[in-house]
Amino acid sequence: MEVMMKSKKLLWTIAVTAIVLFTVLHVFRKGEAETPPSPVHRVSLIDSTKCIAPAAFMRANHMQVLYEWRNSSVRTGNRVYIASNGSKFEKSLNTCLGCHSNNKLFCFNCHNYANVKPKCWNCHLSPMETP
Amino acid sequence: MSSVSDGNTMMNEQRREFIKKTALGVLVGLGAASGLVPAFSLEKTILPVWDEKPVPGKIRWGMLIDTRKCKDGCRQCVAACHHAHNVPDFKNKKDEVKWIWKSSYQNVFPTASQQFVSPEIQDRSYLALCNHCADSPCTKACPTEATFKRWDGIVSMDYHRCIGCRFCMAACPYGSRSFNWQDPRTAIHDPVTTYPTREQGVVEKCNFCSDRLVKGLQPACTEACPEHALTFGDLNDSRSDIRRLLETNETMQRKPELGTKPSVFYII
Repeated sequence: MEVMMKSKKLLWTIAVTAIVLFTVLHVFRKGEAETPPSPVHRVSLIDSTKCIAPAAFMRANHMQVLYEWRNSSVRTGNRVYIASNGSKFEKSLNTCLGCHSNNKLFCFNCHNYANVKPKCWNCHLSPMETP
Repeated sequence: MSSVSDGNTMMNEQRREFIKKTALGVLVGLGAASGLVPAFSLEKTILPVWDEKPVPGKIRWGMLIDTRKCKDGCRQCVAACHHAHNVPDFKNKKDEVKWIWKSSYQNVFPTASQQFVSPEIQDRSYLALCNHCADSPCTKACPTEATFKRWDGIVSMDYHRCIGCRFCMAACPYGSRSFNWQDPRTAIHDPVTTYPTREQGVVEKCNFCSDRLVKGLQPACTEACPEHALTFGDLNDSRSDIRRLLETNETMQRKPELGTKPSVFYII
């Protein structure tokens, strides 16, 4: 009984702390909620924990995928990629790097081995340069 | 009796563990949601504002610059734009790269037909940027279609395709395009991680903040102006702020006689 009371107390403390922390952090975050712009419709967070295609396919075809993504998003404005399992991704190099930049050598290991020198990092920020 | 009480303590232990772990998870989750724990240092990937392929020609983005409000000496819009887009600063005129800049009346409106304008108007400095012309000469000059007219009226650059021939620079009557004679990365003093840089040998220009529009934000210059002198909006929407201001004010464009139909308007 005593233990149950204790855990109940603990639960309450956690709940109250969490709510206070959340409110305080939200109140003191600056800038983001201000000035509703006119071209706004809807922005939703993306789930970057999934891969867009099986690893074997990506190993062989990532350059075609990136090429297709670049052309369709930049030139026709079709920025949403729908994977075979129905999940949606933004067609952006940052979608890939969102997970894969965890490994700083993700791109470089293979490219060095295969002696290919893509020009991506002349302009885009490589996983090596991400802070 | 003893076995029952043992079972109870075991259950309580498990309960405690569970509660502890849940609390930790909740706290970490809250931290991540409030931006305390950085999830990823690059730009957040978000589903864009336009879910599907947009209809070409439905939107035409435009800008109205109220030069009466624009303060002499204030360069906040220029600084905000150039910072947000990693525009290099080589500190010399020959290598200069610019997306938005301030210039004299004579340079911005060299063919304005008004004679004997007041010295106050002549002495002010005026904001200039890519006009995102409805009938853009630069996109017609580009041999590789690296620069092209977007579905929403923005004259866009695909830097991957630019071969650096500079035909577009010759074609643009407004000097809105700059060439990267050197590696721009050496001259970006405060780089941001949310936008790529360019490389040596490509032309660059204002993109009307298409990178911000896709996230539902206003252009960086519009947002940065302390006097709210810049109005950005859809010229095809008759109820938009910019259309209302265009209807109620006398405005002018740069070199309208060339027939390029600029999307940037000025109140003098």
